[in-house]
Amino acid sequence: MIEEGRALFLQIAESVEDSIIDGSLAEEAQAPSTNELAAFYRINPATAAKGVAMLTDKGVLYKRRGIGMFVAPGARELLMNERRTAFADRFVEPLLAEARKLGLGPEDLEQLIRDRAGAHVATTTEGNAR
Amino acid sequence: MNRTVNVVRMQLINKQTFVWVPLIVLGASFAMSIAIYAILNSSGLEGPFYGGGSQAPLWILLFVGISSLTLTFPFSQAMSVTRREFFFGTMLAAAMCAALLAAVFAIGGLIEEATNGWGINGYFFALDWVVEDGALGAAFFYFVMAMLIFMLGFWSATVYKRSGALVLTLIWVGVGVLLLVAIWAITRFEVWGEVISSLVGLGAVGLAAWGLLLTLVLGGISYLTLRRTVP
Amino acid sequence: MTTGNNVIEVKNLTKRYRDVVAVDDVSFTIEKDTIYGLLGRNGAGKTTVMSILTAQNFATSGDVRVFGMQPYENAKVLSRMCFVRESQKYPDDALPKHAFGAAKLFFPAWDDELAAQLIDDFQLPQKTRIKKMSRGQLSAVGVIIGIASRAEITFFDEPYLGLDAVARQIFYDRLLEDYTEHPRTVILSSHLIDEVSNLIERVLVIDHGRIVMDEATDAVRDRAANIVGDASAVDAFVAGRQVIHRESLGNVASVTVLGALSLADRERLAAAGLDVAPVSLQQLIVRTTQNAAGSAASEEGALR
Repeated sequence: MIEEGRALFLQIAESVEDSIIDGSLAEEAQAPSTNELAAFYRINPATAAKGVAMLTDKGVLYKRRGIGMFVAPGARELLMNERRTAFADRFVEPLLAEARKLGLGPEDLEQLIRDRAGAHVATTTEGNAR
Repeated sequence: MNRTVNVVRMQLINKQTFVWVPLIVLGASFAMSIAIYAILNSSGLEGPFYGGGSQAPLWILLFVGISSLTLTFPFSQAMSVTRREFFFGTMLAAAMCAALLAAVFAIGGLIEEATNGWGINGYFFALDWVVEDGALGAAFFYFVMAMLIFMLGFWSATVYKRSGALVLTLIWVGVGVLLLVAIWAITRFEVWGEVISSLVGLGAVGLAAWGLLLTLVLGGISYLTLRRTVP
Repeated sequence: MTTGNNVIEVKNLTKRYRDVVAVDDVSFTIEKDTIYGLLGRNGAGKTTVMSILTAQNFATSGDVRVFGMQPYENAKVLSRMCFVRESQKYPDDALPKHAFGAAKLFFPAWDDELAAQLIDDFQLPQKTRIKKMSRGQLSAVGVIIGIASRAEITFFDEPYLGLDAVARQIFYDRLLEDYTEHPRTVILSSHLIDEVSNLIERVLVIDHGRIVMDEATDAVRDRAANIVGDASAVDAFVAGRQVIHRESLGNVASVTVLGALSLADRERLAAAGLDVAPVSLQQLIVRTTQNAAGSAASEEGALR
């Protein structure tokens, strides 16, 4: 779960963000506390706190005095937008690079994507779009 | 509770060293001395019988003094005890041990005198020159002797730990040489008579007073050495 | 980071033995309630530094302040620290209960219940004399004293020697748990860097008596990358960058390079068919240290 070569507090923040995006952590729900995160990942609580602080600064979490950290309304939308921007960098660029090696141009890629997406819709009972 | 006093408790963790071995040596040498006196008595000799047996428990304190440093000082440092607390706490433990020994000897001496040497005219505790100043004087004498011998052990161990075996050996050799020189000088100037009579004149209490002075000097040196010793 | 938060301040600390310099002009500060990793090879100077901080050993020169005061013969300072060294000697006849009993007398914040729980966790045999214990059991005694002392500054000197992987994990878990409930300053010396990397907030690396790294762990974590692939392509990419390690097998080279990789860099790498592998904290520290030692040696060569 914990990767080498990347700052821990970023990975902690990301894992919380992942659960917001996939819906397992709903908006206005209580987020795991710093100590809970630290205990779960077996890391220093100060590192977990840094991750939580980053999410608070971003506007993804907010603090309810005396109770704990909660997921901010609109957090999911915020994160989705952020990820969409990063998506192009993280996934599209490597895709293009690999495609180039295999002699596939953008039109070939478009065809491949449509074919595969179609196959997905056929095999799942409901689409991924919300 | 005071940290220095807690050092006493820490020293007493080594019950074998501080309590059992001295007691066993005391008991064994007492039993053996009395047995020997009884044998001599039953073969017709009159006595009074004296022996060196009562020295054994005192010399054991040399070993106790050494152990009190070597076995416990490193641990005391891990317990975040200062060298000063360790020194004074250990001295307190030694004093308690010496006081106990002195009490045993003084009371034993009184009993011996009252029973005329356990009925066989044999003396273990009450050596006549020691008890001539009374039971209190005897107790003081034994207390100081015990402390002095303990301190010799403690001081040697401290020097050893700080400066190593070579330095310690040189010091003891030096002391030996000084003693030899003194003996030669006394012999050369034929003053043995004066030396012996002045020693006898001191008596047990007088000797003990000088012993106390020596103990304090060795104690001071040990403390200063300990301040620079690494566990 | 506020400077009023420093519990230990070390300035120009040097320790010399005859002709060996064990600690060489070392300066650093330790902040309150933070877990530090004091990392380095055997003989690098870790134990010597910790001994001097706790006044068990003496500096040749330099200044050490703990809680703003000199620790030497200072019971007010020393009673708030705990340092059980790696090969700690215990009183000859001592059973574990004697060692813990003594610790209770001298550490004001000692927690008996915590000690009992730890004895259970480590399955420490209560009837065995400490001098007869195995290396692992001996380490467990030291670890239990360190954790249960709740000393404001607690040192752990290679505490895991002799402990198997399960016992080590127990130690890390219990330390973190107690630190979370009762924060304190912890300085943990280790050469198992990867194992402790998730626990430590700051990294102090000491090599040949000198501090070669003093940073937040997270800042160091992503500092290097391994570039792997065709040797000439790798060399082309790493030209102009700081290389701290190089390995090759035939045509394939693996080069550890310092500096974060930008998005443009990653695109170049992908285009060149090169792989990027992460560098663990241990690899980074080991390679940086080797590199520094290597270049220092070659500098000396140049001077001759």
